[in-house]
Amino acid sequence: MSITQATPGTPSIRDHDPDVPRNARRDFLRHAGTLALAASPLAALAAGGTSEDIAFADGPRPLVEYPGKRPLILVHSRPPHLETPFAVFNEGLLTPNDAFFVRYHLANIPTRIDPATYRLKVSGKVKSALDLSMADLKSMPGQVELIAVNQCSGNSRGYASPRVFGAQLGNGAMGNARWTGVSLKAVLEKAGVDAGAKQVTFNGLDTPVLSSTPDFRKALDLEHALSGEPMLAWAMNGEDLPFLNGYPLKLVVPGWFGTYWVKHLAEIEVIDHDFSGHDAFFMTKGYRVPDNACACVPAGTKPDKTRPISTLAVRSFITSVSSGASLPHGRAMELKGIAFDGGSGIKSVEVSNDNGKTWQRTTLGKYLGRYSFREWRLPITFARKGNALLMCRATANDGDVQPMTTRWNPAGYRRNVVEQTPVTIV
Amino acid sequence: MKAKAVIVSLACLGLALATATASSKEITLPADHSALRTSNLPGYGLAQQKCGICHSADYINYQAPGLSQAQWTAEVTKMQHSYGAPLEEQDIASIGAYLAVAYGSAKATDASVIAASPSANVAPRLEQPTATIDVAVLLDSNACSTCHAVDKKVVGPAFHEIAARYKAVSDANVKMAASIRNGGVGRWGDVPMPPMPALTEAQINALAAYVLKQ
Repeated sequence: MSITQATPGTPSIRDHDPDVPRNARRDFLRHAGTLALAASPLAALAAGGTSEDIAFADGPRPLVEYPGKRPLILVHSRPPHLETPFAVFNEGLLTPNDAFFVRYHLANIPTRIDPATYRLKVSGKVKSALDLSMADLKSMPGQVELIAVNQCSGNSRGYASPRVFGAQLGNGAMGNARWTGVSLKAVLEKAGVDAGAKQVTFNGLDTPVLSSTPDFRKALDLEHALSGEPMLAWAMNGEDLPFLNGYPLKLVVPGWFGTYWVKHLAEIEVIDHDFSGHDAFFMTKGYRVPDNACACVPAGTKPDKTRPISTLAVRSFITSVSSGASLPHGRAMELKGIAFDGGSGIKSVEVSNDNGKTWQRTTLGKYLGRYSFREWRLPITFARKGNALLMCRATANDGDVQPMTTRWNPAGYRRNVVEQTPVTIV
Repeated sequence: MKAKAVIVSLACLGLALATATASSKEITLPADHSALRTSNLPGYGLAQQKCGICHSADYINYQAPGLSQAQWTAEVTKMQHSYGAPLEEQDIASIGAYLAVAYGSAKATDASVIAASPSANVAPRLEQPTATIDVAVLLDSNACSTCHAVDKKVVGPAFHEIAARYKAVSDANVKMAASIRNGGVGRWGDVPMPPMPALTEAQINALAAYVLKQ
């Protein structure tokens, strides 16, 4: 599904400025990639992808194949950043490992890992520092398994209006998987947290190219870390984590944005203060939202005060129909989609086909846990020919409802507006 | 019996090999083919040289169209302030102007672009004789020292190590100069060396001679 919102002031340029010469080699490669995929079912995925209705300075993006992944939408090459073609979300509630999105921040990423010698170090304000092997983690008490959505903070950033800098993502920087691991609580209890501890920090094997660039480290409040919800996962949908999703160990923070889901997790430190300093950048300066109820400001303005981004906002998507699709007139058909929130669970999903004037309640599918995608279905017969605007709107158990208008912030985080799918009834 | 023993030992060998390869997981990332849009503005060379240290050109290519010079310059400022990019104030203005012209709403003829691109207004730099070039200044002003040291690996290889490898190479000066001019990846590891298009031939030759002497 995709959304085209013609917004005054947003340039609709899809192609190059004719004054600027194009890079012939790059174009050749892009077209070669398109041709190679044209004969495969992947071409259909690409066509139904998320982001081809977003304008980029350099035109549409190719599908690329990275280790352990089927061809995915290229967001950036180095550090790697790949987006899931949206059609994947119509195929099942669990996102296949080889289709799951990839996002790194720093270019020095590990490319060779030996799980036999891999260690997770736990240090800081603890009674006994730990140096745990994968075998240690897999044999500890506190083993857990749960299904949860991992969504990038900037998922759908490309639809921000006015546009903002950052990865120009469509709606495919999210995925839902069954995670297997050990609870963070069990690991911290094994180490024994000292009185006075305040936060827990997490670091993976990826490092910056230059020492002047902050490392990618994240922090959770101690109470959250000990809640039993965050986990250290080694398996995803019953298999080892894909290398590019954090093999062999990843922090999973159910209900929280992907920025906290540290990949190749190697160091946990318990600290007695709020995380600060050069390597706290991705907590203290990056990944922050306006510090108010909507995490938003008037479009184009700056917030006075910010806080670290945290939980997922309620969202829903139509997955069975793409933007611009032709649907049959006068014949019964079914619309299908997904919904999720930050962990209260989905209460209801409604669909409108008349610009939001009236809404029909959909039937929710099987419950896979409160952090999972929830399927919804709606039998529908379109009574009138012509253009129609489909929308779906989810309500969470905590009462949160998707807004009808976009909540803007300068970094393009946490989009959850009711999405619109224009179709033609024929 | 003998044959059986051979089979058993082969089987053991096979198992040992299988175990060795099974324990480690390794990936090879695809090559990055993205490139910045060409331009005659001085910021183009600087952007190739500086931005490419930490990220591929497609981080720039896939931003939104139509952004202004002020927006692009603010983004380059963020690269220096937040991410520690080795950029002087003048570099920021110059790269911001180039990006806004190549990818955004600015035109090369805008007064603000011309003001931010000082060397675009002057005659092409006179080729200095190699002997008068201060290599220490070049190493510093082109951020070479951010990634290289004389006697130890930092991000890239030590100059000592490079000089040692080039000892047996014919036309070492020419090849060294080409490596500096064009950059590259793979010969010394996975981290690419960005190209140095902002340097003159004389400057590149001076740097090549310096590195080979270490």
